Amino acid sequence: MSQEVYEVTIWARGVFQDMEGRHASLLMANAADLGGKFVQAWDDYADLPDRVGVPLRKYVRLSDEEIEMRFVYVNNNPNLVVIMDDTIVKGMNILRGMPKGGSLIVNTRRTPDEILAFIPNKELLANIVCVDASGIAADAAIDFMGSEGGVEVASVGAGISAPLVGAASKVCDMFDVKNVVKVAANKDGVQKGFDSAQVKAL
Amino acid sequence: MAKEVFYSGCAAAAYGAKDARVEVISSYPIRPYTGIMMELSKLVANGELDAEFVHGEGEHAQVSIAYGASAAGARAYTGSSGVGVAYAMECYSPAAGGRLPCQMAIADRALDPPGDFGSEHTDVMGARDQGWIMGWAESPQEVYDNTIMYYRIGEDHRVQLPQFCCQDGYFVSHIPGRMKLEDQKAVDEFLPPYNPPHPLDPNRPVNHGPQIFPDQGSAINVQRAVAFDEIESVIEEVVKDYNKQFGRKYSPFVDEYMMDDAEIAFFLQGAHARTARFAVNHLRKQGVKVGVARLRFMRPFPTKAIQESLSKVKAVGTVETSTSYGGQSRGGNIIHETRSALYPLDKRPIVTSFMAGLGGEIVTLNEFYAMAKVLSDAVKTGKANDSYWMNFEKEVLDTHK
Amino acid sequence: MSRFIIPKHLEVPLGAVLPAPVKEQPGMITGNWRTERPVIDHEACTTCLNCFIYCPDACWHLDEKTEQMVWNADYCKGCLICINECPANCLEPVNELEFPDGVVRLEKPF
Repeated sequence: MSQEVYEVTIWARGVFQDMEGRHASLLMANAADLGGKFVQAWDDYADLPDRVGVPLRKYVRLSDEEIEMRFVYVNNNPNLVVIMDDTIVKGMNILRGMPKGGSLIVNTRRTPDEILAFIPNKELLANIVCVDASGIAADAAIDFMGSEGGVEVASVGAGISAPLVGAASKVCDMFDVKNVVKVAANKDGVQKGFDSAQVKAL
Repeated sequence: MAKEVFYSGCAAAAYGAKDARVEVISSYPIRPYTGIMMELSKLVANGELDAEFVHGEGEHAQVSIAYGASAAGARAYTGSSGVGVAYAMECYSPAAGGRLPCQMAIADRALDPPGDFGSEHTDVMGARDQGWIMGWAESPQEVYDNTIMYYRIGEDHRVQLPQFCCQDGYFVSHIPGRMKLEDQKAVDEFLPPYNPPHPLDPNRPVNHGPQIFPDQGSAINVQRAVAFDEIESVIEEVVKDYNKQFGRKYSPFVDEYMMDDAEIAFFLQGAHARTARFAVNHLRKQGVKVGVARLRFMRPFPTKAIQESLSKVKAVGTVETSTSYGGQSRGGNIIHETRSALYPLDKRPIVTSFMAGLGGEIVTLNEFYAMAKVLSDAVKTGKANDSYWMNFEKEVLDTHK
Repeated sequence: MSRFIIPKHLEVPLGAVLPAPVKEQPGMITGNWRTERPVIDHEACTTCLNCFIYCPDACWHLDEKTEQMVWNADYCKGCLICINECPANCLEPVNELEFPDGVVRLEKPF
């Protein structure tokens, strides 16, 4: 398959970040959709979103043409990785499969260098973005309902997903921060995330 | 007002049921269909849907509840996946034989062992001969549309049969797609309230499912056979109406893609048809004349439509996505009936089958290319095996690369 | 001869029967569920074994040689029930990134 598809993997923690993780993927997809991209956003099928703290994956695929690989379960080669909880860097090889020149977005109060100390394969990264998303927006209400193939009828992007995706749009050219603001519930949070993100080029 | 949404197949089924104004829902959790009941329970709790929501103590109870509700005259809705579908097996024939048009949503799942929650059609294919209407949707939109159409087909007094409204687990049930929810008023126009032949009435009590003598059995069976003789014209009517009312382009039984000048064809049901069409696009660029025929109904098996569609080509490969261990083809199910359907024709294609998409494995473009090669060779040599297990036989090895 | 060729990467034990874990299940490391870990003050600990009893994942045990409680970093999910149950208040939650150790870094979650 030679199709150019931009892959995003979002790592969140079970139960208390399940919904926000999904919202981050939906925000990116909806914003890219507004920008005329073909999009796909979905939850990992094998993860266990109903167990507290378990690392979860949410995915996005963005492309300029219709995406052929719709059914492939996981993003094997993510160009962008988002970490909703900084401690996940110790638990998972989050950059697995990343092609050289990728980006990493981390929700943390720490500095990029403190996070990089826990990333052995940082040569894959073109840049790392740290943003205190939890400080900007409190975690939104926990939703136990939406995990299993459910949908969001409530507003998307009210919690930490908004500043995180805002920060991501600083290094990702597949979606524009203006479009993220349009589709997110917490518009202020998106802008604050964008403005306060610390970007370190590698 | 019609509404554009980004829903998974599970949510699409739930909103289809809501717009069909189901009156009784019975649930029991199992992946991947659980999302349907989670959405419905939210809708009922929020007061957006006026329905009885009953928790069964298992799938056997679930279908029994739907049976009872339907017998009382309600529009009943239930569903399951995988081993849950198998556990309710006893209840399928009574619902069909009792002519109770309840609907069961299926997001299919492989049967054990081991505990695999990937998509495979084997679970509900095991119940295909009980007298239920059965067909697979390819996208969340089609799930929504089928949910509404199936009720009208099943509740038609010429039919009066329950329905399995199926979708591929994960591939359709869990991956959101852009779709349109129709205006409630328009759906109401298309699908009038259920008009049961024996509504619950203390002044006119009836007995459902009485005991009979063995020599009366065949007469009960032939009633279902009569219904299946009528059903194809009802389906044609309903699909035509739905297309007209909501601007869709469904063909009733076989959805064709580039079949008109095709020499070889993939014949399959469910989500993998999407990948098959992309494979056809690529293969056509290399000059391979290939098409896709997607089966929209497994029951009734649309013999005439299949004859019309598949007689255009020289070789057909059924993509099985379900197992029939020890069956004639030593592979899957669809090939058996496809061959039977084509047998009476004077000029019939070579029919072979490909065992792919089992246990939740995706059917990749490379697998479709390998299938096309086998089919092209079959056109040249005039023969092919009964079945090919993708990646496990020399003709179709190494498609993962 | 069988018509089937089983490629190496698709081999499965007959009937999907697998060896069962005896003490720990290396196929299900759960240490990465943790955002905070319980840190013990051995001076204050009375080795009452409440943490051992209440831990849902058997991640505390008494080392009889040193007479100290030992914590299992690979499987502790960070539920912090032990802290709740400790009568000596000798356990304290600390953010995981304060420690260079306890890295699991799995390739796949499951």
